Amino acid sequence: MLELVDITKVYRGGKRAVDSMTMRLDNGMLGLLGPNGAGKSSLMRIASTVTRPTSGRVLFHGTDVVAKPDVLRRALGYLPQDFGVYPHLTSREFLSYLAAAKGLSARSARTRIDELLQLVNLTEAVKRPLGKYSGGMMRRVGIAQALLADPQVIIVDEPTAGLDPEERVRFRNLLSDLAADRVVMLSTHIVSDVESVASDIAVVAQGRLLRRGSPEDLLAAVEGWVWEVLADPGDVPALQQRHLVSRMVRTSSGVRVRLLTHVPPYATAQQVTPDLEDAYLAIVGQVVGRTQEFAGLQHPEGR
Amino acid sequence: MRMLFRLAVADFWDRVRRPAYAVILFAAVGLGYLATPAKEAGWVVMQVGDYRGAYNSAYVGMVVALAGAVWLSLGGFYVVRNAISRDESTGVGRLLAATPLSNLAYLTSKFLSSVLVLGSMLGVLAVTAVVMQLARGEATTVDPVDLLSPFVLIALPIMAFTAAAALLFEAIPFLRAGLGNVLWFFIWAFIAIGGQSPNAPLGGIGVHQVVHSLGDSMKAQGIDPSEAGEFSLGLTLVSKPLKTFEWTGFDPSSAYLLTRCVLILIAVALALVPAFWFPRFDPARGRELQDPSAQSADNRTEDKSTFPAMPVVAIQEEPGAARSDTFGNVPRAQVKLGNSAVRLLVGEVRVLLQGIPLWWWAGVLTLTAVSQMVTPATGVTRILLPLAWIWPVLIWSRLGTQRHEHGVEAILGAYPAAHRRVLAEWGAGLLLTAVAGIGPALRMLTGSDGPGLLHWFLGALFIPSFALALGMLSRTHRLFQAAYLPLWYGTVNGITPLDFMGALRGPDGLPAGMSPALLIGATVVMLATAFATTAARRVAG
Repeated sequence: MLELVDITKVYRGGKRAVDSMTMRLDNGMLGLLGPNGAGKSSLMRIASTVTRPTSGRVLFHGTDVVAKPDVLRRALGYLPQDFGVYPHLTSREFLSYLAAAKGLSARSARTRIDELLQLVNLTEAVKRPLGKYSGGMMRRVGIAQALLADPQVIIVDEPTAGLDPEERVRFRNLLSDLAADRVVMLSTHIVSDVESVASDIAVVAQGRLLRRGSPEDLLAAVEGWVWEVLADPGDVPALQQRHLVSRMVRTSSGVRVRLLTHVPPYATAQQVTPDLEDAYLAIVGQVVGRTQEFAGLQHPEGR
Repeated sequence: MRMLFRLAVADFWDRVRRPAYAVILFAAVGLGYLATPAKEAGWVVMQVGDYRGAYNSAYVGMVVALAGAVWLSLGGFYVVRNAISRDESTGVGRLLAATPLSNLAYLTSKFLSSVLVLGSMLGVLAVTAVVMQLARGEATTVDPVDLLSPFVLIALPIMAFTAAAALLFEAIPFLRAGLGNVLWFFIWAFIAIGGQSPNAPLGGIGVHQVVHSLGDSMKAQGIDPSEAGEFSLGLTLVSKPLKTFEWTGFDPSSAYLLTRCVLILIAVALALVPAFWFPRFDPARGRELQDPSAQSADNRTEDKSTFPAMPVVAIQEEPGAARSDTFGNVPRAQVKLGNSAVRLLVGEVRVLLQGIPLWWWAGVLTLTAVSQMVTPATGVTRILLPLAWIWPVLIWSRLGTQRHEHGVEAILGAYPAAHRRVLAEWGAGLLLTAVAGIGPALRMLTGSDGPGLLHWFLGALFIPSFALALGMLSRTHRLFQAAYLPLWYGTVNGITPLDFMGALRGPDGLPAGMSPALLIGATVVMLATAFATTAARRVAG
């Protein structure tokens, strides 16, 4: 349905934010995971037609939307990482304005806005100017606008920033529900945001797609690589130098260190079951200076 | 002291690395060129009747420095107007507020940075002056002292005063935004005109002693200054080339130097006096000063009880069980597309007029009512129409800027039909212009003043186009405010070539200002600029 073909984005000054990335998205949720500066937001902006790629094509049902962006824009719900609102308008006025900008009929706009305000639990604040909303409430307005036109494609960039834990859970579930019959692309650097809802995960770093697969695929890639050792606090710096440490917990008997390596670091080390965070760190670590240790991991692939 | 200097220099670099700075420097070069026209050019910036000085270092330095003092004090004010607000919008202010940096030190660094920015423009002007002296070829020897001393003695104190006023305005809540920009225009006009008077306090802009010196040189060369004509500073059209005389500069008296120093001291005091009330980026104090309605819910405890927590369905999942649907109310209503042009226009009107207080509307009503009562009808077009079309200046200046200013661009970038929104925004501006000027229009209608009504209509098309184009290009309110006010002021002062609204009438009673063709052409160019800017920004991403 939505295809990103060999996308490259080079900003002024030569910064290559996205480097020859190719991926195909069909109904379902793709979680885009990567460290800060990995190129996630650039890729999201390109996929949502906000930014033009330096090279490459974005196809929606076969139409090149770099040349004809309105084809996708009519079917798109986009929630950027940072956005603002008109502070003196109410949420209903703001959404009405955006519905008109989307080209919704008057009746559709009215019904849809009522439903969405209820969905994001803003009905009681509907008469209040947006300038008086909290960060979380503002985020919910952003979510509502993304769903205004019942989009076929939903692209959300770091959507849970500013939401409290309950709202995060609800929003993730909402996305999961929507993904049943839509394309949903979710970008985050918080592993827990995707592990609970995304059936398909793409890990990116330094503008490149490192790996794509189901959570089970990613976990399988680091099976047997995760170890826990109880170390003397004085030995921790040496361990950090030698291995990729994913977690450390200071206990009364020493520091319990969870690390990733393909050979036992100590005789006393215990192999443990990897989680998605371990897999993510291992995949990203392949790029950031531990190539030798993680050379065994599979190569990136696009679908 | 070193810390202050470092802060000021860092701030200076941050400002000069923005693309707008290059435009400003380009404008400074243009001003230097304008101030030293060729013999056959049809304009001058400084003259004594039919005479001007030969282009040696002293005269070129003086004329360019005076042009800089007069015009950079207007344009420069709008350039350095964001010293504090930039720190507020970037969040740097809150970081600085948590350091031991005192209010006094902060304001001092901001003042120094603004003086550096304006001083750098003077520097470019000075270099331009050298180039122009050599290009004109009337004197080939460059005397750096003669050339630079007018910049130091006349232009620099004025720039310091301008920088201080900009900082002071930023620190006074009700002058922080558009009202301050408008007020500065009138203060500037008062200083630029009144400051040339021999009776101006502290010697005004410092030109009077220069005029004396020019007169003395003329007398020494056998020219009677009283017969030659009056001294004039400002862009003036001349029908024939001016005669020249030699002027080798002036020796400033100690009293003159003292007044320049006092002016700088006053500037320093003006810049630092806000240290007494500066809120130091405290959101609570700052927002109270600005606009109580803008108080965030983050800081208001009652919100927690006003808004119910989002209902969460608690489900105990069995291991291996399918995920239960905890969010069953996804909207499923079918969405249909339709004609949304009117609603989009209504939306743009709402956006444009957001936060406008009732007293503003009361002003429109008053002007409309008074327009129906004033006699003769020419008084309506000469006085009330200009008043009606200065009243919305701060609202017009929002055109083309609000999406960027409020960060809504991030959302709208992925919305279809951007040109439709631009058209709707222009329509909202047109409606506003028509409503504000409806009183004089009705009067012209009842008085069967067809030509006047045509000019009113063309003016109503021109103003929002002008505002939208400048707003889209600059993404700030200030450019339109700085450009529209001189145009309006020129109209009010009877300069017919600037009259875009049909306020000035010829002896035959017909509008004597810009021709309809010129107004239509300007409107089309402005609208094309607005659409082209939108398209270019979308392509640039």
